[in-house]
Amino acid sequence: MMAPARRRTARADQVFVTLMLAPSLLILAAFYLYPMASNVWFSLTDLSLMKLRQGGAYIGLANYADALGGADFWRVVWNTAFWLTAVSVVVRLVLGMALALLLNSAALLRLRLRTLMRLALLVPWATPPIVAVAVWRWLLHPQAGGINRALLWLGLTRHPIAFLADTATVWPAIVLIMVWNTVPVATLTLLAALQSVPRELSEAAALDGAGSVRIFRHVTLPHIMPTIMILAMLMTFWTFNNFVYVWLATGAGPGRYTDVLATEVYLRGFVDFNLGSSAAIGVIMAVAMGTFGLLYVRVLGRRVAS
Amino acid sequence: MRLRARIGDGAILLTAAATLGFLLYPAVVVFSGSMQTNETLFARNRFDLTWDNYRHIFDAGFGTYLSNSLAICLAATLAATVVSVMAAYVFSRRRFRWRRVLLTAVVAGQWFPWIVLVTPLFILFARTGLTNSYSGMILCYTAISIPFSVYLLLGYLETVPRELDEAAMVDGCTPLGALWHVVLPVMLPGVVATATYAFLLCWTEYLLALAFLTQPAMKTLPLGLYQFFGEDTTDWGAVMAGSAVTTLPALLLFLPLQRWLVSGLTAGSVKQ
Repeated sequence: MMAPARRRTARADQVFVTLMLAPSLLILAAFYLYPMASNVWFSLTDLSLMKLRQGGAYIGLANYADALGGADFWRVVWNTAFWLTAVSVVVRLVLGMALALLLNSAALLRLRLRTLMRLALLVPWATPPIVAVAVWRWLLHPQAGGINRALLWLGLTRHPIAFLADTATVWPAIVLIMVWNTVPVATLTLLAALQSVPRELSEAAALDGAGSVRIFRHVTLPHIMPTIMILAMLMTFWTFNNFVYVWLATGAGPGRYTDVLATEVYLRGFVDFNLGSSAAIGVIMAVAMGTFGLLYVRVLGRRVAS
Repeated sequence: MRLRARIGDGAILLTAAATLGFLLYPAVVVFSGSMQTNETLFARNRFDLTWDNYRHIFDAGFGTYLSNSLAICLAATLAATVVSVMAAYVFSRRRFRWRRVLLTAVVAGQWFPWIVLVTPLFILFARTGLTNSYSGMILCYTAISIPFSVYLLLGYLETVPRELDEAAMVDGCTPLGALWHVVLPVMLPGVVATATYAFLLCWTEYLLALAFLTQPAMKTLPLGLYQFFGEDTTDWGAVMAGSAVTTLPALLLFLPLQRWLVSGLTAGSVKQ
């Protein structure tokens, strides 16, 4: 008697699951899967922005061969992997950790500064990246910017520095903008993790005679490691694919000195009109991030499970 | 010992002050700069307060950009949140075939470089007449908000005991009724936080807007703001005022929601 009824509810539940998932999956298919598939096709053609109507002719892997064979491409890869991603993620994690420890310190609470600091952290975080870039372009302005004025006043430099136009300073300047804008996410996430470390653990370690550095290394750090890993992964995705910081701060300049993969896709497609070769770079980018993501999930999954 | 503690306090106080300066100075510059003329911005010791920059940017069409941004972002946030809650709920509560694969695929949307979407969607939009339209942008922004929204909501859903909706279903609720009457009220702060993230994502999006909105009457705030950066000269007063107008709504949304925003970020990924 029960079996048919149960089968009916199972069927009904299947319909329920399908209907609930359908809207998201359809939108994602239309806006991720379809563009990705057509990008793979474009990357095998010589499609040009000027001759969209004719479409492109199939040219095999020529776009990939061109891209991978050019010295410029590897410079762009280096810019993206090292400056845009590695440096900025590490700086944010280290600075975020330092600020989280500061916020978590008993002294800050005693000085009644913790709430003020928390609120202050919200300001850069709530600032849209487009605004962060605009403001820092002003602060780094050679004539009127506050940074140059301070450096001149302190006598640290004789002449104003055009931070975003000088190859020696442009990458640190872009990293500075990203760090200012996003260090609060790292800080507040790490602070929440620090506050979840059971107090008994560090107290027990202190009773055993461990100093604060050793407690941090052997008690606190292992406990918050999963959070650090997740944070590192999220920030890597957010930065590696990012277009606006570099594009709005320097337009990939001076020259193409700060060109990264995202701006390279844009430049090839919408400045050089070469949609085929732009699509090839895009496919390389997507494959790189997809591989990184799957690897990371695998490693992270194992670590969290054990 | 007391002296050492005092030196320690002093060091922490100094570090805290330096940090506060680093975090807040740019914002102070924006809001004070937005109320100065271009002349006093470049002069060293003058400071005349004025609303001229704001008047100027609204004369230059900032009101239109503001209402475009509001319409597109509110609609996209609503759509993305509704469909993400639906998807996250079944991902969290049901075990079905292809679940892992589909969930990974949805969440993996976060890893996807949006720049790759530009060319294919540009062509698709041109063919279907969606360029320079609200509906095209709303669809786009809904799509880019879904992966992260589902990821966040999964984390919040883990904090709602399963027994709660199971009990509701035993009492005769439909699955949808259990979600609506039992689960949603409990996780409402999480849903609000998710919607906030989605809204801010859309509010500050520049690249897709740049590609798909070419008519001045359709432009959004981020595009409007960067109009004031010229090839040779930049209207800095207008940039500051535009920055202030763009930032203020985001800041007002963040203040009440900060705790929820932080807790959601890492909650979802630990268990999948």
